[in-house]
Amino acid sequence: MNAQAKESWRGEGMRYPSPADERVLHERVVQRDPVASTDVFMTYMDRIVKILMQRLGCDEDAAHDSTVEVIFTYIHKPARYDPGKGRLFSYLMQAARHRVVDKRRSADARARRDQKYGSDFAQRARTPKEELEDLVEARLAMKRLVERGYLKNERDWDALRLILYGERSTESLAVALGLASLPRDELKRAVKRHRDRLMKLLGRFGKEDSDGES
Amino acid sequence: MANPKWLKVAAQRSGQHTWTLGYIFEQYRKHEGKSAEELAADLDCSLEMLDWLSLCRRPDEERFAEHLGMIEKRFAVEPYRLAAVLRRVEVLDVLPASQEGGEAMGEDAFLLAARDHSTDDETSS
Repeated sequence: MNAQAKESWRGEGMRYPSPADERVLHERVVQRDPVASTDVFMTYMDRIVKILMQRLGCDEDAAHDSTVEVIFTYIHKPARYDPGKGRLFSYLMQAARHRVVDKRRSADARARRDQKYGSDFAQRARTPKEELEDLVEARLAMKRLVERGYLKNERDWDALRLILYGERSTESLAVALGLASLPRDELKRAVKRHRDRLMKLLGRFGKEDSDGES
Repeated sequence: MANPKWLKVAAQRSGQHTWTLGYIFEQYRKHEGKSAEELAADLDCSLEMLDWLSLCRRPDEERFAEHLGMIEKRFAVEPYRLAAVLRRVEVLDVLPASQEGGEAMGEDAFLLAARDHSTDDETSS
């Protein structure tokens, strides 16, 4: 970018836009001006983020996320904004505020669901006798899996043993599967993939095992 | 003036919107196996400029030369370099999955598309 363009363009974002400036900017967005989007970001991002943080107590990341989403949505579908009904700033501000509130509601609902699941699970904790029975069944299942050639890989054997013994920790399964050195996100995906594969194998074994017994 | 804090977030998020240059850049990097630094080198611009460019709407086909000129005027990016990236991704985007691995087919299609587009541009200007 040349220095002159840089200064005039960045300077544009510093002052508060007049209604006339906003109309021109909106018209550029409607006309699909390819650089109008950068001007919308420059003009409104900081102002909206500041207000979200001050009035709604948002942290900066959440305010950035919501405002960026709202501006992209506006640029993609500018016809949703009716200039006759108010200022562009008010429209974007309102949309960003709603976005923050919606995200908070979703996060609260998710937290409540997780909490409920945790307490339901705790209430359904198994008795020592049931745990012992499960352990015996798991050992028998492992023995049959090996005898019938389902488990040829030592890592699969370790991982499946953990699953059958009720292990739920991703980290423990990652160690058993030799995936512990992977980055966190990749590790979670890889463990899930292996867990799904082993559960399918278990399902196939279970079906054949019951067919064999009948 | 330092770059605003939100620029990175916005540039990253632009990749989710097919109508942005950010989407084009993401696809280009994915298909060509290039880093952001390599893409910036292809466009002969800085990483900071790449982030700003990512926020732009991709040029309309009917006004391709005009829109490319507007981007050039604002960001002083070489239009032919940006056009080459755009055309590359457009070709990759429309190719059926089974043909993407075929280098020769991809190159042929690219050349055909580039010829078509250059004719469009010439006639529209």
